[in-house]
Amino acid sequence: MAEPLLNVDNLNVSFVTYGRSRQVLRDVSFSVAAGERVALIGETGSGKSVTAKAIIGTLPKNANISAGTISFAGRDVLSMPRAEREALKGTAFSLIMQDPLSSFNPVFKIGTHLDDVMRFADKRNGISTSKAERRTRIAAVLRRVQLADGERVMNAYPSELSGGMRQRVLIGLALLHQPKLLIADEPGTALDVTTQDEILNLINQLVKEENVALLMITHNLGVVRKVADRVVVMHHGDIIETGPCAEILSNPSEDYTKALLEAVPPLYGPRVIDLPRSERAPIVTVKGLNKIYGKRPGYHAIRDVDLTLREGEIFGLAGESGSGKTSVARIIMELSQPTSGTIDIDAPAPGRGRRLTQIVYQNPGTSLNPKRTVKQTLSLPLTSIGMDADAREARMRELLDLVRLPQSYLAKYPHELSGGQKQRVAIARALAAEPRILILDEPTAALDVSVQKTVIELLMQLRQDLGLTYLMISHDLSLMRNFCSRIAVMLRGEIVEEGVTPEVFSDPKHPYTRALIAAIPVVTDVEERLKPIVTEEERMRFLVKTTA
Amino acid sequence: MQQHPLVAILTRLGMFVLVMIALSIMIFVLARVVPGDPARMALGPAATQEQVEALRQQMGLDRPLPVQYLDYANKALHGDLGMSLVSQRPVTTDLAQTVPATVELVLVSVIFMFAVAIPLGVITAHYRNRSFDYIGRFLSLTGVTIPSFLFAITMQLVAARYLTDWPIIGRLDHGLAWQGGPTGFLLIDGTLAGRFDVVLNALKHLALPAFALSMAGIGQITRITRSSMLENQRKDHVLTLKSFGVPERIIIFRYLLKLSSIAPLTIMGLEFASLIGNAFVIEMIFAWGGFASYGLTSILQKDLNAVTAVVLVAGLFFIIANLIVDVVISIIDPRLRRKEAR
Repeated sequence: MAEPLLNVDNLNVSFVTYGRSRQVLRDVSFSVAAGERVALIGETGSGKSVTAKAIIGTLPKNANISAGTISFAGRDVLSMPRAEREALKGTAFSLIMQDPLSSFNPVFKIGTHLDDVMRFADKRNGISTSKAERRTRIAAVLRRVQLADGERVMNAYPSELSGGMRQRVLIGLALLHQPKLLIADEPGTALDVTTQDEILNLINQLVKEENVALLMITHNLGVVRKVADRVVVMHHGDIIETGPCAEILSNPSEDYTKALLEAVPPLYGPRVIDLPRSERAPIVTVKGLNKIYGKRPGYHAIRDVDLTLREGEIFGLAGESGSGKTSVARIIMELSQPTSGTIDIDAPAPGRGRRLTQIVYQNPGTSLNPKRTVKQTLSLPLTSIGMDADAREARMRELLDLVRLPQSYLAKYPHELSGGQKQRVAIARALAAEPRILILDEPTAALDVSVQKTVIELLMQLRQDLGLTYLMISHDLSLMRNFCSRIAVMLRGEIVEEGVTPEVFSDPKHPYTRALIAAIPVVTDVEERLKPIVTEEERMRFLVKTTA
Repeated sequence: MQQHPLVAILTRLGMFVLVMIALSIMIFVLARVVPGDPARMALGPAATQEQVEALRQQMGLDRPLPVQYLDYANKALHGDLGMSLVSQRPVTTDLAQTVPATVELVLVSVIFMFAVAIPLGVITAHYRNRSFDYIGRFLSLTGVTIPSFLFAITMQLVAARYLTDWPIIGRLDHGLAWQGGPTGFLLIDGTLAGRFDVVLNALKHLALPAFALSMAGIGQITRITRSSMLENQRKDHVLTLKSFGVPERIIIFRYLLKLSSIAPLTIMGLEFASLIGNAFVIEMIFAWGGFASYGLTSILQKDLNAVTAVVLVAGLFFIIANLIVDVVISIIDPRLRRKEAR
């Protein structure tokens, strides 16, 4: 076998913080051959991004490579002089960043970013070019990522492009100097599923056409099946398993990989959970809801939405960003006023300071005040319903038991907790004043799959024990398939399809629903074949345009 | 919904007019309800009660306040701000003589402020937690905490003792034959007339008061620039450029500096208020003869028309400065432009 393009051998990296050293990579070894697609998978803190940074050379100052080598096309990268190493950036390997919005400086035009990257890479290669010449070359690259109107894209500021377009530009940025290896750090995770799907297709197509190798860093096993030939599984800084993609996904040998696969909610097949329908009386009835933001003519965020939540059920409101699902939730929460329409909540009026509805937000990292301990966070709603200190103390202990956190966590600050633990605190806070209805706004979107699984299990248990009704807002249809008893799909402020979850998934009526389901990255080939078929014409009609 | 940019500008100007009207009413009423009879003050203790009454009638002070105000506003719109009781000249004439001196001082201070504070902020951010950063942070904290008059007096003393030729009061040496120019700004008039000895002399006179005046702002803006640079340094877009090998100097001086100048510029607009306030003190110390010292005298003398005019002009300065800051920021930040147009 020929020399691999990239060879990482026994790489050890540690971070030094406040004089203490912590090892984040332990004897990491893997290789990527020319033209090969390798996925590096793992959960938060597994060291996959650190590996990528070590290869590119953007490790933070407090990182220390204590042992190991990284060689690219047979040359040792780590022992190279600085200038030589800089010259590799963008030309030998380049990075596709994760978040298309924050990856651009908001006060500079897209073209400025592209031009500077090209200008300095040219300079290092000893080529001098004129600005006009570079613009032509950039436009040519942008066409390859399906942005035909290069002039418009280059003259736009980052905030003026859609997320999908920005992600395409980021891919274009990586392709400016025909690199041999593309390193993609979770591309598309910040985007809607349908857009993410398009981006992955584009990366696949480019890898094939340009014959470059791909190192895909991801936590999404569905993505892995789509874009990788070989898989490297990382866990706590160790590589625990390597193998061909099909083999790892269908027959993993390590327990950790197995658990990871099992945590992925299935879309089809025997593992799918069907939730029983609730036949009880409706608790929330929404009729003819409209919401217009701004004046003359304003933005019509919700159009004639009718909804019924039955007591004890889990109702799923699916849709992509901007579809109006969060606006509906806010109106049900009475956080904003509808322009027209009625909301009836059929339950006895709660006592002073209590509410019938409460919400759990998407990102517990930002929805909890970092300066307040768990105890302070939880005591606020309890004080507002008029509990005295002793009662509060007892109730807080009860709440922590409910969300399965040890009592000692009352004294902790959010930064001392993991993502899953923070979300449990957020759930406890929502439950504090005994609401009847819980609105879950993408409650697990910021969490790893294995953590997602435990949080979902907790929510299921709580619903049973406390007799709650859930309204779940999400764009993750595979999760909703297993968690919701009924589901409604929103598109541009309207509900385009509504029904019992198994029926909607087995026979989606609206083309948009079909497109949404078809875009979900799934783990097995069987599921892939069962997905509904969407015609190109339907895609054009209902999906957000990401090309230009 | 896209709003025409012109509409946005007109709305702004409308607000501007409203603020000026509100300010004029406030100062007009305030100046008249505080104790002390302006007519008595003007005539002195020796005047008889009849004389004072006569002057009150002549000044219109016996009429109801709203009538007085409308009369004043009507005249003001026609360019007549009334007579100054102290100088016995039209207030507009006094202002024309004193305002340019103050504007020149303030503008030079602002330029000085930016020229020192922004680079200092960038450098301290770059050398974060190293000795240069500590020194820079100590100096900027000193600038913020020590009152400007203390600086002014100390510098005057030091200059008088060790730089005996350095001017420490006034705007220009008395020995210079200078008749004044069309704008009243010595730097501009001197250049126009080709009298570079005047320009140089004026700059020498400006150095100390401008430095004293800008000290607080330098400290403030250095700190804001530093923290803004540090915050933006952690952003993903910096990592993007780094991972494509764009040199660090380009990342700092081109990408980060522009993004990080928004916060200090916003602060500048607010800082302007304290700049004008400090100018009152600095002008007294350096015998500047600007409109701030004119204002101070008129307040002490209860020279009604002069006080009102001085406050209005100070308000005008503040509003114009903030208008300029707003425009500059919206030029820098495209997101703001879109938000405003909406």
